[in-house]
Amino acid sequence: MKYNYENGKLTIYLEEELDISSCKIIRGVIDGYIMKYQPYELVLDLSGVKFMDSSGIGLIIGRYNLIKLLDSKMKVVNAADNIKRIIELSNIKLECVQYE
Amino acid sequence: MNENYIKIESKSNVENIAPIRICIATFLSSLNIHIDDLMDVKTALSEAVTNAVDHAYENGEDNKIVVEAKIKDNERIIIIVKDFGKGIEDISLAMTPMYTSKPENEHAGMGFTIMESFMDEVIVDSVVANGTTITLTKDIKRTISNKV
Repeated sequence: MKYNYENGKLTIYLEEELDISSCKIIRGVIDGYIMKYQPYELVLDLSGVKFMDSSGIGLIIGRYNLIKLLDSKMKVVNAADNIKRIIELSNIKLECVQYE
Repeated sequence: MNENYIKIESKSNVENIAPIRICIATFLSSLNIHIDDLMDVKTALSEAVTNAVDHAYENGEDNKIVVEAKIKDNERIIIIVKDFGKGIEDISLAMTPMYTSKPENEHAGMGFTIMESFMDEVIVDSVVANGTTITLTKDIKRTISNKV
């Protein structure tokens, strides 16, 4: 998993498959970066994600809740069509989800 | 009736979910199936297997799940996910969107919603202290003819 931090913006490039097994690990890693940099904006880039189920939704919501605690912003970008469908189903008011 | 199937018996272990998913998706890819439909089945299957692995057994003993994929007449996909665990006490509550019995684990409570949205039929058969069987069905002939 790659990440980039620049001028208060933390971008995480998620990869491969987001299921219950991978999310458990990724969650801790992302939260470590959030705590370290305390970014004003978090960007989750899903361009490398090939598969995602509801565990990925849980991951996104969880990071969103954490970012809100820091009074920061979050964006989810570059989701493939099949992953967009799952995000849309989740009915979460993620004003941050952008399809770039 | 022409039927083909594959059956996987696995230890109830989160690390086995990805291999089960990949194995069954590979099996189904022999059908003339649209990639979107294959992804739908793969996602619904992942939800059902995740439920079994994550909720059926409370201890770390050597518990098993059985996942079966059937292809009937090259037009109907049936996925059966079976566990032998504690069962679901209130099935309608479990199937309520956004409900999760484990909010502390950051579950979205979207498992059954995804299964119901992506498959044509979802049947949950559960007996407390005996186990749960989830049967997912998708007709691919219809979806293909819809697209033509």
